Amino acid sequence: MNASRESSAVPDSGREAASELMSDVVSVRLRNTGEHYDCRRTETLLEGLARLGRKGIPVGCVNGGCGVCKVSICVGTVRMTGAMSRAHISEQEEAAGVVLACRAAPNECVELDVLGLMKKNVCRYWPGEP
Amino acid sequence: MGVMRIGHIDIRVMDMAQAVRHYENVLGLRETHRDADGRVYLKCWDEWDMYSVILSPSDRAGMNHVAYKVEKDADLDDLATKIAAFGLEVETLPAGTLPACGRMLSFRLPSGHEMRLYAQKECVGTDVGCTNPDPWPDTLKGAGVHWLDHCLLMCEFDPANGVDTVASNTRFFIEVLDFFQTERVTVGPGGALQLASFLTRSSTPHDIAFVGAPTSGLHHLSFFLDSWHDILKAGDIMAKNKVRIDVAPTRHGITRGETIYFFDPSGNRNETFAGLGYVAHRDKPVITWTEENAGRSIFYHTGELVPSFVSVYT
Repeated sequence: MNASRESSAVPDSGREAASELMSDVVSVRLRNTGEHYDCRRTETLLEGLARLGRKGIPVGCVNGGCGVCKVSICVGTVRMTGAMSRAHISEQEEAAGVVLACRAAPNECVELDVLGLMKKNVCRYWPGEP
Repeated sequence: MGVMRIGHIDIRVMDMAQAVRHYENVLGLRETHRDADGRVYLKCWDEWDMYSVILSPSDRAGMNHVAYKVEKDADLDDLATKIAAFGLEVETLPAGTLPACGRMLSFRLPSGHEMRLYAQKECVGTDVGCTNPDPWPDTLKGAGVHWLDHCLLMCEFDPANGVDTVASNTRFFIEVLDFFQTERVTVGPGGALQLASFLTRSSTPHDIAFVGAPTSGLHHLSFFLDSWHDILKAGDIMAKNKVRIDVAPTRHGITRGETIYFFDPSGNRNETFAGLGYVAHRDKPVITWTEENAGRSIFYHTGELVPSFVSVYT
């Protein structure tokens, strides 16, 4: 009896979770390339971006310190998930919607400009770097 | 004898509670002091002086200074003269500037990093003591790192415009601090330029390293572990704690070290480093890694440079 109640409860909670997940997903558009990706409200813009899985995704320290994932939010709002280094995001930039993608989670659908892609000149001295 | 070893590193963190949790629970250091300005001082279990890592609250990541310990107080007077003669401005900070630490020389390296030298810091002993000690304590947390081993500083490098602070730092460490070079990565026509320089004062393959970059900064601070198995276990602990790993366990060509690179919660890169590599001697010929083997010098197995490894630092 208990077992059957539990087994019937599983699909229900599964459906609830699935529907919650659906509503949790928003679309993020990269203005630079026109690409779109899905991002949960509960994850950072960079976590979603990394799933694009192509070269050049600026995944650095993912902790707000190194500054390689700098983006400008053009449409939509985000909320901050942790501190961003002032060495990379000034107060004026922050006020203008410039954030580190590893520290920003989308509240809604977002359009952004990528500013801080790993700069080619950063790697230019290392042989074999693109 | 002058400089003995790396003594401590002062790094900037943006969330102190998270930082302390990382250095204690993941790496296994222990808090030994907290000052009125909110700085937290920690040591590894196998170190005897009171602290080797200072976490300083800040709005950014990176390094405030790195300090090396000299053997005798009089060495500081001797070195102050030599540092000034090299052309660097040197200042003496009185005892007590840092807690439980004697007077310090403070100066900026040609690369712009602040370096300090001191002769005395309160000795609190290792966690196993020095009378009939066990090989390790029962209180180990996380990776249980033995000691702060070395740091790697990114140094402004733009030879086309006459800027090469890898070379000037190397010259300073050899001529003034009496380090010797163990390994280097050469680039450019005829391998005339050093992109990376590894130097030591002790018998380990490096006590400090310099690598060329567009701007100066902190590449990583590194902690010693005994063995490859300890590296694997450290990786497990990082995974358990959802630590961002930059480079999974592998081996360096340079130093032969076994390694993991990962980031602290402010994005400062850490390394756990295992293996003696070899015993460094002053008369051992310098090892050179040529341009086409630069990848293998860093990541020996794949020979491929991880893009974040050369472009991400604080």
